[in-house]
Order: sequence, then C-alpha cells, then structure tokens
Amino acid sequence: MALDISSEVIGKSAHVTLSGELDSSTAPSVRQIVDKVLADSPINLILHLENLSFMASAGLRILIFAKQKAPDLKVYVVKPQETILETLRKTGFYSGVYVVDEAPVV
Amino acid sequence: MELQSYPGDLDALAPIREFVKNAAQRAGLNRKATYNLCLAVDEIATNVITHGYEEAGLQGDLRIGAEIKPERLIIYLEDTGKSYHPDSFELPALEDLDEPLEARPIGGLGILLAKSGVDELNYSEVDNKHVHQFIVRRDQHA
Repeated sequence: MALDISSEVIGKSAHVTLSGELDSSTAPSVRQIVDKVLADSPINLILHLENLSFMASAGLRILIFAKQKAPDLKVYVVKPQETILETLRKTGFYSGVYVVDEAPVV
Repeated sequence: MELQSYPGDLDALAPIREFVKNAAQRAGLNRKATYNLCLAVDEIATNVITHGYEEAGLQGDLRIGAEIKPERLIIYLEDTGKSYHPDSFELPALEDLDEPLEARPIGGLGILLAKSGVDELNYSEVDNKHVHQFIVRRDQHA
C-alpha cells in the first residue's frame, strides 16, 4: 500500500493528512511536504493520521526534523491508530506532541 | 523453508511487510503482535538496504522466509551487503527519550522499535550471508 499525502495551510496552522503506510520509501515525500508548509512559518503543525495504518521510525525522524527547523512549533497528532500511538509512547515522542481526537480550532 | 527474494532497495519494504503480515496471520498472532513484528522487520530491512547496500555501494537481494513452529513464529531475513550487527547500533539512552524532540538524536530509534517489537532478535553470519531472525512466541500473542 502506498502513501497519500495532502496538505493545506489555514491561518497559522499547517495541516498534513497522511493515509496509507509511512516507511523509508515514502518518508522523503512527507518530509518535502512538511518542509514546504513550514516555509509559511505556521504556529501549529497538525498531522491527521486517522487513516495512517503503518509508521516506521522514518516518521519519527520527520517530527524531529520539523521541531529542529521550528523549535516553537506545536505539533498535533489527530486520531492516530493504537499501534502508532504505542510507537509514540515507546519512543517518548508522546510527550513531545499533542495527541488529540479532533484538530484544534486555532 | 522457501525464501522469497526481493531486490535490495526501499521498494522492497512494502512487499516484505505483506509477507510478514501473512506469516503472522497464519501463525495466529493477534493484531498488535502482527503490527509490531512487521515494524521490527521493516526497521531492520531499512537498515540493511540503506547502510548494508546503498551507502556501502553494494547491490544484492533481501531474502525472507517464515517458519511456523508449535510455540513460535520465526522470520528469517537474509542479505549479502555490508554486515551490520543489530547490537552495533547504539540505542537511544533512556534520558534521551525525555529530551524535547528537537534535541533528540535521530539514530537508534529503528533498532529500539525492532528489538521491542519481538521476543528475540538474533543475528548470525554464515558464508558471507547475514541472517536476522525475528522470533515471536505464539502462545503469548494469540
């Protein structure tokens, strides 16, 4: 299964929606999109992951990359599947992002 | 046991996960154990492809096989690239996992997920072939 990526910047929030599987072969396109939306200097990066069924450590490295580029960026993870949530917990990333059921209205 | 062969590039990751998922389902593993095993194999296969083949300027295949025993499922992943013992990668220190994301070391996360995703991860080298073995106990993850 491949990965579908869409993005949209609304006000100060950059929304990125990922559906499918995020591994090392699909990560470079996500990184490119994140890089592009960060160019607008958003305050929030809102990742919609409800339909993301797989995420390898390449996905975690994109979060590090985003925070390195914009240390004050607030990263929201909307509706991750339980298995991906466990990856965030296991690696301590859970405390570095806001895991939410709905995108914040900002 | 028959091994399935894939060219050693990143396009192999998706079919390798599919292979592992099928084997896990045949072995009766639950959804969470199946996912964790797919993740473990994916992380090691990624390391083999990027470090063992691409960065080393080598080409070769990844061969994968599954063996279902009464008590456990064993996945074999074989390559002929540059050798990388999983223990040669440094795991992130526990205090690193509490650091803000921007201060995190980017290495070691894959190995952490690989090791924590299975009951045992073994590695051996035989006749210039490297074999990673992923072992999951079936009774504890049914």
